[in-house]
Amino acid sequence: MNILETRGLSHDFKGLRVLFDVGLTVRQGEHHAIIGPNGAGKTTLFNVITGTYRPSGGQVIFKGQDVTGLAPYQLARRGLGRSFQITSTFEKQTVFQNIRMGVMSRRGIRFDFWRRVESLCPVAQETEEILSSIGLLAEREVLACALSYGKHRALEVSMALSTNPDLVMLDEPTAGMSKEETHATVELIRRLTSGKTMVIVEHDMDVVFSLADRITVLYYGSILASGPPEEIRHNQAVKDAYLGDMEFSHVL
Amino acid sequence: MKRHHLWLAAALAALVAFPFIFGTLHTNLMVRLAIEALFAVSLNLLLSFTGLLSFGHALYFGVGAYATALLLTHLEGIPLLAAVLLSGMVAALTALVLSPLLVRVRATAFAMLTLAFGQLMFVLCSKFREVTGGEDGIMGWTTPPLGIPGLFSLDITSPVNIYFFAVGLACLGILAMWFFTKTPMGSVMISIRDNQKRVDYLGYRVVLTKAVIFCLSGFFAGLAGAIYAVFNNLVSVGGVLHVMVSFQPLMAILVGGIGSFFGPILGSGLLLLLEEVTQAYPEMAQLISGVIFILVVMFLPGGVIWSWARARAWWQKRSYLRKSREGMA
Repeated sequence: MNILETRGLSHDFKGLRVLFDVGLTVRQGEHHAIIGPNGAGKTTLFNVITGTYRPSGGQVIFKGQDVTGLAPYQLARRGLGRSFQITSTFEKQTVFQNIRMGVMSRRGIRFDFWRRVESLCPVAQETEEILSSIGLLAEREVLACALSYGKHRALEVSMALSTNPDLVMLDEPTAGMSKEETHATVELIRRLTSGKTMVIVEHDMDVVFSLADRITVLYYGSILASGPPEEIRHNQAVKDAYLGDMEFSHVL
Repeated sequence: MKRHHLWLAAALAALVAFPFIFGTLHTNLMVRLAIEALFAVSLNLLLSFTGLLSFGHALYFGVGAYATALLLTHLEGIPLLAAVLLSGMVAALTALVLSPLLVRVRATAFAMLTLAFGQLMFVLCSKFREVTGGEDGIMGWTTPPLGIPGLFSLDITSPVNIYFFAVGLACLGILAMWFFTKTPMGSVMISIRDNQKRVDYLGYRVVLTKAVIFCLSGFFAGLAGAIYAVFNNLVSVGGVLHVMVSFQPLMAILVGGIGSFFGPILGSGLLLLLEEVTQAYPEMAQLISGVIFILVVMFLPGGVIWSWARARAWWQKRSYLRKSREGMA
């Protein structure tokens, strides 16, 4: 069953067409990677799916319902979580407070102003559980902006997962990380998303091939190929598109 | 915790004893402080906790003040507390009406839009002479006693009684806003200040949350205006809707401590004190306060409260270092 499907999705920025007739399908439970050269439209595709932009044409179907043009908060409530390429946390708040925002949202505690937030024991407990599962329990009271880059990125990914979404979309979770940090983050993502549906945009091919069950290649705003990693690895069109890209030819 | 309670009890006792120890002059000054502090804290809810700079908060203050004046002038027999609370609600309603526009803008656009709305209300009230009395304003109504008909009544026109009325309401209002910042919705508010986009993607309705905060802030600004009306028995556009009325609480926040909840109360107190001191030299008053603002911005960035915290930390570090040096010797 497809949890996410885009039909003929297209988008343009003031006349500059970025997405052409994209038909992406993500099956329930799979780890789906979207790859493509710089400027292929990966982040735009993410933004159109998660409600940042209303698409110029086409439909987004999430869990069997047409969600085209819904606002980010509406999609989040329907079970879509996302992380950002540029870290987007509450930097002046502690790690605990950051994660607690996600936990509160999932429990529907949003317009609640008759009790203290500190008095919500189940929320605090669940937040602590999440913190220990992502290995940030020791940094509980540390401000997000004071975290190391790797840990801050891990927090970013965890924020997307803190609402316990049915589909989590990660936009380059390992961007700018060192080799060790990348390795640790990949392990974290693997652990946190096991049994969940995930869509990931990634440049690092090692990460892609170690995490993904299925890969979609985006090239100048259109889907070039989509299939299991082995098939993509040997696809001639993909090879041609990436010709000269050291990163990819090295992996191939 | 215990020491905390002790301080609170002492402050409360001081507040209760104040009008009996000091004369009418200082009691009235405290009433003005209560009004200013409540007003400044309501604005601070937007500035320090939602991250929005409003240049037109006098709008809600003025609406609250005019609502009280009109209610007490035209509705005979209305209980005082009902008039005052109703005025706060009218101000909140005004905020609700404007919120569809205000929730969509941020930063400079928000500041300009609030300034525009504030000035619009100023002009409207200046021109609608039949209702508002124009430049002359509304005055001379008889303030009904505070109380429940048949149960008890308290004449509010005596300085001591209006002191308790104003300070009591202001304390309750400030306490309510302080509690709000500690609730789940308060956390959402602070998170909107820190990263609106993330709040949106976590599933919170940013726009609706902001609208509620505007109403809340508007309500307490309106309440401050209502107390002002009862205290002065006079409401005029110059006194409650002028752009300087919007700037006064902004100054209080900047002087007291931006980003802190209680800083604006301290700032309001300092500004009132300054006003009292410079009153002796009316032609120099603005010059003196101007120079002091410049000095605050230059040497006490963030306001008195943060500078105090920094000084204390510095002092603690110094005495700690000295002690450890003595220990080594």
